[in-house]
Amino acid sequence: MKPEIAIEVKNLWKRFILPHEKKTTVFEMLTKLHKKTTYEEFWALREINFSVAKGESFGIIGENGSGKTTLLNLITNVIRPTKGEIHVNGRLTAFLELGVGFHPDMTVKENVYLYGALMGMSDKELDSKFHQIIKFADLEKFVDAKLKNLSSGMQVRLAFSTAAQTNPEILLVDEVLAVGDLEFQQKCFEKFMEFRKKGVTLVIVSHDMNAIAKFCDTVMLLHQGRQIATGNPKEVIDLYLQHR
Amino acid sequence: MTQLSDYWRITKKIALSDLKLRYKNSLLGIFWSLLEPLLIFAVLYLVFYYVMDLQVGHYYLFLFLGIICWDLFEKATMMGMTSITDKPSLVKKIFIPRETLLLGRCITALLMILFELVIFFILLLISGIPITPLFLLFPFILIGEFLIAVGIGFALAALNVYYRDVQYIWAVLLRALFFLSPVIYSVTIYPAEYAELLMLNPLARVIEASRKTTLYNSLPTLLDIGIIYLAALLSLAIGYFIFTRLEPRFAEEI
Repeated sequence: MKPEIAIEVKNLWKRFILPHEKKTTVFEMLTKLHKKTTYEEFWALREINFSVAKGESFGIIGENGSGKTTLLNLITNVIRPTKGEIHVNGRLTAFLELGVGFHPDMTVKENVYLYGALMGMSDKELDSKFHQIIKFADLEKFVDAKLKNLSSGMQVRLAFSTAAQTNPEILLVDEVLAVGDLEFQQKCFEKFMEFRKKGVTLVIVSHDMNAIAKFCDTVMLLHQGRQIATGNPKEVIDLYLQHR
Repeated sequence: MTQLSDYWRITKKIALSDLKLRYKNSLLGIFWSLLEPLLIFAVLYLVFYYVMDLQVGHYYLFLFLGIICWDLFEKATMMGMTSITDKPSLVKKIFIPRETLLLGRCITALLMILFELVIFFILLLISGIPITPLFLLFPFILIGEFLIAVGIGFALAALNVYYRDVQYIWAVLLRALFFLSPVIYSVTIYPAEYAELLMLNPLARVIEASRKTTLYNSLPTLLDIGIIYLAALLSLAIGYFIFTRLEPRFAEEI
């Protein structure tokens, strides 16, 4: 892989297997050994090819069920390809779902350190960034409060500001541009702009065409797991809007 | 190298936050976690010392040590087994090396056992049994046992993602193993014709060797240590193999 490439996806296929009757216990497996398992195949992605250059902002659009989230999950390594290859070059942070691993019975501070660790930060890094995280989330008064006593908006803010402090080289974003109130959304927007300016590679999945047009250098359109078009944002978005 | 330190950092975090959560929500904290093994100890002691009248000197220490060794194995495998299935969001919504979930849990179990060991040590000091340099071998025996449990934990954690009754099957097997292992009795009561076979059980070796080093001031045999570490090696190799074979589909199966 060339050093200037951040993500390279080559001939990627992903199949999900949906059994009609799932054997979920050892007992079932043994008693139904003679029965053949019947299942349906679902190809969530077929023959996907693209590469994202370092510092590029890459958008992925398509209707629900087109395979966008599957693709992000494959890039983060949560699920694995059926066929093909994915190469990632650099420290990757994924904003797929915020606050994963948060524990309601721990304090805000403990949660920042736990979540930060899961996102790939060391305690030392977190020590130096803790103040910033809390300030960005606007939760200075609640450092020692238990997370469960915070509103859900506050929790999302905390998750976002913790995740935003990882020094990503590649950032995957799945519809999280719309968290919190308007003021916080504005702050998030600025944060993404800042990442972009710093040369962070962004991969964004969104239904918000304005945001995609504003952020992305290249856009890919998916339809039922197939790659329909990849290229200039305006052209690809127009194609999507026409065919909807 | 950085990857390895990343693994370790996440593992440590998972273990410590798990431990914290266990103790934080109860006023009595650590005491609660000790209560269970202490109660079992009290019941077994009453039954086997007074009722069955086993002829073992310092039976309370003998029994308590057996329970500690057993507890380490039971806690590490049971807690390890559900380490993946208990945290579906950490498997489906984010990528962290899945090994860290298992290792973190097993380390939590090990730390819980440390509290029991402190009590054992205090009792040992009070009893007047001399503490000799042989005591230094005791941690190596427990580490061997811990590694056996981690290997089994790898296999169970992965299998439990696919088949949810693995936990019930393991609970039954554990109970059988408890009575086959010399937790409440001494290996001398094994019938001669089966003794060799029963002593292939690495847990029997762990408990026996632990008693030798802490209570009887005698050296564990090479066979004791050999069987323990051979079992650790085999269990880690097989367990980790199963884990890595099943791991790619965890997020889809969980």
